[in-house]
Amino acid sequence: MKIIHVTLAGLGLAALMALPATAQKQAPAPRVADGQPNLEGIWTNATITPLERPPELAGKAFFTEAEAVAYEKQMAERNDVDRRPASVQTDVALGYNAAWWDRGTRVVKTRRTSLVIDPPDGHIPALTPDGERRAAARAADIRLHAADGPENRSLGERCILWPTAGPPMMPGPYNSNYQILQIPGYVVIFIEMIHEARMIPLDGRPHLPSSVRQWMGDPRGHWDGNTLVVDTTNFTDKTRFHGASENLHLVERFTRTDADTILYEFKVEDPATFTKPWTAQMTLSKTGGPLYEYACHEGNYSLVGILSGARAEEKDRQK
Amino acid sequence: MRSKGIGLAMGAALLVAPVWAHHAFTAEFDGNKPVKLHGTVTKMEWINPHAWIHIDVKDADGKVTNWMVECGSPNTLLRRGVTKASVTAGMEILVDGYQSKDGSNKANGRDVTFTDGKKLFLGSSNTGAPGDTPEK
Repeated sequence: MKIIHVTLAGLGLAALMALPATAQKQAPAPRVADGQPNLEGIWTNATITPLERPPELAGKAFFTEAEAVAYEKQMAERNDVDRRPASVQTDVALGYNAAWWDRGTRVVKTRRTSLVIDPPDGHIPALTPDGERRAAARAADIRLHAADGPENRSLGERCILWPTAGPPMMPGPYNSNYQILQIPGYVVIFIEMIHEARMIPLDGRPHLPSSVRQWMGDPRGHWDGNTLVVDTTNFTDKTRFHGASENLHLVERFTRTDADTILYEFKVEDPATFTKPWTAQMTLSKTGGPLYEYACHEGNYSLVGILSGARAEEKDRQK
Repeated sequence: MRSKGIGLAMGAALLVAPVWAHHAFTAEFDGNKPVKLHGTVTKMEWINPHAWIHIDVKDADGKVTNWMVECGSPNTLLRRGVTKASVTAGMEILVDGYQSKDGSNKANGRDVTFTDGKKLFLGSSNTGAPGDTPEK
């Protein structure tokens, strides 16, 4: 596995060198009181760069500066119009016109064309037979029991866990904002989406016993030079990041590359689900605060609406 | 297949949009029940995970019905400059959306338009929201 790490480090370096000049102008940040490199601040990973490389960009890992500008302009135009999809179902699914969303307007600062950097084709590796079997079972369950009760609905709809809030942290539809705090012995990441906080101990303690499973896993942090490495295990079998099993081993790396940027990378290892490990990378950009409280349960009328809608449809079918 | 062709042309970022919404709008609202509501705001609930606007709608016979209209995340609205003063009781609005599947008087606020024709929150590609801040 050592070789893979070295390769990734090389890729990371290439990416850093590809950063626009504006992102390189300031020296790396100083350290916080206990000597940790400083990652503190409010950050966003909102971006229009997709997780996987779009087919039309096959073989192209990076945009040039001009291409990035053109792509951002094109996406802004597409997202800014009050579009009416041809399909009514798509129109209903989108919920509102595009202005209600907050997906960001920029590509990642490395100008990569996908968040997935390994495999180099920018695509999540194929599922294992076991991964496929579990995905098919879930799909069948959703089909047969779409809304029997609240337990059938997604974790996000139930305000339990947001699929992009992480770990790992992915750009979401809105609230893709994070506050990093560093206190002696810990790094704390407060995630605006469904107001989660990750407490990451740095004292080298072992992971929890494998019998203890947590929705957001069990994180352990350490510093590799100026890079914060967070190793997370002990997930539940309900968390399922991109179909992962409870044995997902997630390794995140945070490197402050200038005053306004953290290079954030995560590696997904789950041999039960993916035919090989994969790695995604994005830039976190400094942004203005404050983070707002997103108390998801406060007025989650939609869950009631979905269940009562399903009951109404059942009655219609019986007629 | 027409819709599929258009979807592909719109790009991957838009295709995944429905999956990323807080909840499945297609499970809550009915594509066969499009509604256009002209009403008077009675209140706006600034609550998580989505804000809701309540409006009184008068039909041709003068009968008044109260409707609830689902909006976006309050955090996003605030970052776009919308405040509690933006939508207040007594305002007239036009709502274009889809009615709930359970037949109650709820709709998604696909488009919310003021009487002067301005659409709520639409029309700016640089909103000042996080991620939208111009690079320094």
